[in-house]
Amino acid sequence: MARHPRVQLLNISIAAVLLSSSLLRGAEDNNTVADVFRVLTKRCGHCHSAQVRRGDLDLTSAAGLLRGGESGPAVSATDPQSGPLWQRISAGDMPPEDEPPLTADERQQLLLWLQQGAPGLPFQKAAAVPLDQHSIQPILLLRCKTCHGPQRQAGNVDLRSVDTLLRGGPHGPLVIPGNPAASPILQRIITEACPPSEELLEYFVRRPDETEVERLRAWITAGCRQTVVPPAPPANAADPLVTAADLEHWAFQPPQGDPNRGSIDEFIGRQLRAAGLDWSPEASREVLIRRASLDLIGLPPALDVQQRWMASTDPDWFEKFVDELLASPHYGERWAVHWLDLAGYADSEGGVSNDPIREDAWKYRDYVIRSFNSDKPYDQFLLEQLAGDELLDSAQTSPITPQLVDNLTATGFLRMGVDETGSRTMNFVPERLGVINDALTVVGSGLMGLTIECARCHSHKYDPVPQRDYYRLKAIFQGAFDEHDWLTFRNRTLRLETPERQSRIAATNPPLERQLKVLRTKQQQSEELLLLTLLQHHYPQQSKAENQATLQALRVADNIRSLGQRELVERLQRVQVLPDSVQPPAVLEARHSLQQLEREIHRVRQRMEPADTIRALWDRGDPSPTYLLRRGEYNQAANPVEPGVPAALNSERIPFNPQPPFPGGTPKTGRRLAFARWLTDPRHPTTARVFVNRLWQHHFGTGLVSTPDNFGRQGTPPTHPQLLDWLALRLIRDGWSIRSMHRLIVTSRTWRQSSTVTPLHQERDPQNRLLSRMPLRRVDAETLRDSLLAVAGRLSTEAGGLPDPVLVDTSGAAAVLPREDGNWRRSIYVQHRRTEMPTLLSAFDYPVMGPNCQVRSVSSTALQPLLLANSAELRELAASFAARVQRTIQEMGGNPVETASRIAFGRRPTAEEQQVGEAALEQLSAAWSGDRQRALEVYCHILFSSAAFLYVD
Amino acid sequence: MVSRAAESIPRRGLFARTSGGLFAAALAQLIGADFCTASSADHAVGSAGPATLQPRPPHHPPRAKAAIQLFMNGGPSQMDLFDPKPVLNRMDGQPFPGNRETLGNQGTADIGVLMGGRYRFNRHGESGQWMADVLPHTAECVDELCLIHSLWTEHPNHDNALYKIHSGRLFMGYPTLPSWVVYGLGSENRNLPAWVVLTDPLGPPKNGDRNWTSGFLPPVFQGTPLRATGAPILNLQPQYEQPDAVTTASRQLLSRLDELHRRDRPFEPNLDARIEAWGLAARMQLAASEALDLSQETQQTQQRYGIGKEPTDSYGRRCLLARRLVERGVRFVQLFMEEQPWDSHADLEANHRAVCQRTDKPTAALLADLKERGLLDSTLVIWGGEFGRTPTTQKAGRVYTGRDHNMQGFTSWLAGGGVRGGMSWGQTDEFGHRAIEHPVSVADFHATILQLLGLDHQLLSFERAGLEERLTGVLPPRVVSEIVR
Repeated sequence: MARHPRVQLLNISIAAVLLSSSLLRGAEDNNTVADVFRVLTKRCGHCHSAQVRRGDLDLTSAAGLLRGGESGPAVSATDPQSGPLWQRISAGDMPPEDEPPLTADERQQLLLWLQQGAPGLPFQKAAAVPLDQHSIQPILLLRCKTCHGPQRQAGNVDLRSVDTLLRGGPHGPLVIPGNPAASPILQRIITEACPPSEELLEYFVRRPDETEVERLRAWITAGCRQTVVPPAPPANAADPLVTAADLEHWAFQPPQGDPNRGSIDEFIGRQLRAAGLDWSPEASREVLIRRASLDLIGLPPALDVQQRWMASTDPDWFEKFVDELLASPHYGERWAVHWLDLAGYADSEGGVSNDPIREDAWKYRDYVIRSFNSDKPYDQFLLEQLAGDELLDSAQTSPITPQLVDNLTATGFLRMGVDETGSRTMNFVPERLGVINDALTVVGSGLMGLTIECARCHSHKYDPVPQRDYYRLKAIFQGAFDEHDWLTFRNRTLRLETPERQSRIAATNPPLERQLKVLRTKQQQSEELLLLTLLQHHYPQQSKAENQATLQALRVADNIRSLGQRELVERLQRVQVLPDSVQPPAVLEARHSLQQLEREIHRVRQRMEPADTIRALWDRGDPSPTYLLRRGEYNQAANPVEPGVPAALNSERIPFNPQPPFPGGTPKTGRRLAFARWLTDPRHPTTARVFVNRLWQHHFGTGLVSTPDNFGRQGTPPTHPQLLDWLALRLIRDGWSIRSMHRLIVTSRTWRQSSTVTPLHQERDPQNRLLSRMPLRRVDAETLRDSLLAVAGRLSTEAGGLPDPVLVDTSGAAAVLPREDGNWRRSIYVQHRRTEMPTLLSAFDYPVMGPNCQVRSVSSTALQPLLLANSAELRELAASFAARVQRTIQEMGGNPVETASRIAFGRRPTAEEQQVGEAALEQLSAAWSGDRQRALEVYCHILFSSAAFLYVD
Repeated sequence: MVSRAAESIPRRGLFARTSGGLFAAALAQLIGADFCTASSADHAVGSAGPATLQPRPPHHPPRAKAAIQLFMNGGPSQMDLFDPKPVLNRMDGQPFPGNRETLGNQGTADIGVLMGGRYRFNRHGESGQWMADVLPHTAECVDELCLIHSLWTEHPNHDNALYKIHSGRLFMGYPTLPSWVVYGLGSENRNLPAWVVLTDPLGPPKNGDRNWTSGFLPPVFQGTPLRATGAPILNLQPQYEQPDAVTTASRQLLSRLDELHRRDRPFEPNLDARIEAWGLAARMQLAASEALDLSQETQQTQQRYGIGKEPTDSYGRRCLLARRLVERGVRFVQLFMEEQPWDSHADLEANHRAVCQRTDKPTAALLADLKERGLLDSTLVIWGGEFGRTPTTQKAGRVYTGRDHNMQGFTSWLAGGGVRGGMSWGQTDEFGHRAIEHPVSVADFHATILQLLGLDHQLLSFERAGLEERLTGVLPPRVVSEIVR
């Protein structure tokens, strides 16, 4: 876990403190509790008082000190010095870095008082608070509910709540108030009859620990008390832990301004002029065409497109070109990449080493692409992803409509994180809480610009996010993400398809499935044949029985093989890794035919209709109660919390009222729907800002707020606050249309500037914060690969469906399997398995999703040039590129250097480049003994590696 | 001369040939002698800290300049190799007297009975430390070793325990110890990667390249796997054939084009960084091949490491390479074995013996060789796996001949690099099951290693999404200063 930034404080010498405290001993009579509270009030009071209770803590009164904060009592009766009060102070965590620390005298005074046992604190009174149902319910949830809850009621006993506990089981009561010895639940726990030893792992429970057993005993002894705990904060009321002053931070106030007046250039221009700068001149038309194309569709302009727009005499040519790009189906494929980064998209579960494939994740990917291509309003886009299951009642609707399927597919957004809970050993509550935390992190920082995950363990250190806000947000998701009622991988897939698709599946798949079965049998046989061929060739003296024993050993898991089996397998491995040059033709042939079979299998799979399954998240209408967890620890439940929205973002008091959405239909809490409506309310302070900032970031390389995930106090303030607000209000005014925002940004004078840096820029705007020019940018991983394919003429434009498999060779290089026609599809359609990303993509900073990626890094590593220059894959593409150059020359005339430049860079070469290129072609051709064809291939390969290809002006 | 695909060339030929490869000496001249252009270019917006391999000053004077981690995948058995337990031996065959639910990771159904240590133990060296007779060569170095018997970790699964021991976290995607080290210190060798991973020619270890990820740290801090046979780095050699003259001409072309491109775009440090990366690629080709050329070593040295003989040849090569790399200023070298050879759920006695026979002699040779060359003082050697093994047997198939995973106590050793040799630290209980004296958490272990390398675990941080991330996490770890000289 992470720590927060703080000043490394004071290695206060304990010896010095002890020494001075003994000197002070004479004065101990004067050291009254009143003196101590004077110090605490003075030093801690402006954050921890009855009025301002940061961390839900009041340090200005005895009652407050004993009650403590979200981490429990500040001092403990048995050892006052060991409580959080002194711990935080002595470690230098408190007071925080921007507040004056306690003086040495004050520290000594406090320490002495604690060492004396904190005289004057009424510990007895505090200890007298009796246990109630909320001390017990978390134990039931954690230890009992999995076998005695909604999914399973072993022995017909229901322990999902204290109410059901008190109701008893089929054989009578489970607790006898006042009589723990006669209470069956306690006796079963003490004798370890429950949870049963052999079922601990099967149902992922752990035994209650001693303190839990004691708590249960004490509660029964005291008569099974139940109290009414009012929700804190009260529903739809302001949270006293967040003050009006807290909400003054710019991002917590709604955007200001008039969307009907002004323009991007007005805001940018104002700041440029203030710095004595002006816009750079407009970039050349060639540059604009390439820049817009790579930005909006992620592909270089096709030759004919480029020619058409170069020749256009229309004064509005650029606006029209932009509209053409936005109408292209490739636009959605490009901009979905950015959204999938935010969602943390992957085609595999992660978390465990075999990294199981997430079979239906791609349906969510296609949903995102469709949404961008249809210019789905952003508010609708969010509603579907956050609460698609609560928009329409899928269980009660017949026939299933495409909209219904889309709504549920959209909720895949919340299921994109690493999820190891499908593993045999990693599906305990802490791991489930980790999965939930990932989803909340994506929602918090990705959609709201609030790093709410910081409040999982304690109140946010910089932003007004009390710890309970994290758990109130968690409660919103509890109906679907219930760590005490978890869906296994098997029962969390939804089968849902339109009748039309269902019938296509029924008509298409059965014969292909039969074909697959045959192919798989063949594959198995070929694998064995290959192994036997290897063994026979390299170990001719090894007996047939030993060879068979080797195959047998391979079927045994590697860690339970006997030494004999291990040795046989290793003999095999040793010859498997030998280079092709020393393998006999029979082995090479066997390998080749095995590869062909694998490809054939993939192709048959691609011809099949995708199954009717969806990876979705849906509310089940019966959530466990949500408790605040002290220090974020799964077994340290404190107060119950009700679903609620973060107070920091609720200065406008936008209503949040969960209602079951389908009265009389499928029971659901409606919490996520209410949340999504709150989030997309036009008065919300951050939703629109965060999104337009993201759009800006992808158009300009950096957002107006350069920390797109953090609009809080630790985030970077916007370079152009008014512009950010104006864009946000404009998005809302234009019906949340994403496309109109692109149009607005891309056609601005600011975006159309040249990227040349001048000495004046270097002096007045070195980091381009003012946008005195367009930044020069390296293309990202997907754009690079897609551009390579497009330029080589090897890009297949087939859209959607099953991802294309990635194959890893013996050297560890991962490459994408081509389609049947030998071409490749765009990178978004490549299988995004966390552990097997294509080498080309990961080398150019395709990120590890953890849980998502909000800013891609741009690195320069030695691996990049090695890969571009040396890979056989790149040489193959270069050969295709060269062939395309020659075809183009035949059709349209021209010379190789000029044609190659136009195809690869979207521009004519400069005179100097023309001359350098021609000379190089001559030289290369001579080096290839006059082979002009191969010379051109090498020339094309070099263009792929060149800065002009990798960078966009 | 026509270059052929790297894998079709015998090893000697490969090394003889590299000077004619794509990144020939000519390239180095083309790029210019000054590779030291500071690269302020690579950084992720919103992140903090340097993203280059420029050397950086340590937080305090380091005891070790480099580290070699001999990673023992699968979990070696502490009670069989390092941590003799007379009580356990005496109770061999009897049921475990404690709570069976605290054993293993597979539930209680398959737990067998207590199994005494499988090998004979003797005291060795002046320090008189115990070591099993399957490690005769390591036993000779016992006065250099600090055996930590009280390590414990947080998950009994390989995957998670591997993430934990490498990155301090139980899940994938976090930066590993060496990436933090090179992030903190940079590299003193400009021709070789700062952090080299020597993998087993037979195949990748469990968890594959996630063992050497830089997580959310910039990719420049990830480990570079070098293979001891075949092409040492992925794509270091062209995967296609072409005459050297073509290579030279094409390099000149690229250099010329990039120069033109750069000339028209002043004040763009990214373009310089890119050219610097080309330089490193070129230099790496020459330097890596030289570093990997074991034929430069004497016959005697090779024999000492067990090179040329089974079963030590493969591991011996990697150990010798580790020494050569450290000599050349590589900051961190890690050795992995294929899959997880120590994971002996069955046939432990024979399986552990076999892994010992493979690794014991090369490991001892590495220690002795480092010492003779005066490198041991400044090189920290780390030996150990992701967890230990249970005192009880476990059913595997139909037999009870192996041990399950044990996260509650296991042994690793450190040597050199400012560590006190000839000592043991911490103890497990009488069954070797749980660390009971001076328990050392993974965070403590990491903090201690960082300390030895001149880094303060608290100061070594990276800002991400408003949080300062650290290798050692939230709870303050304890540097085990007792084992530092």
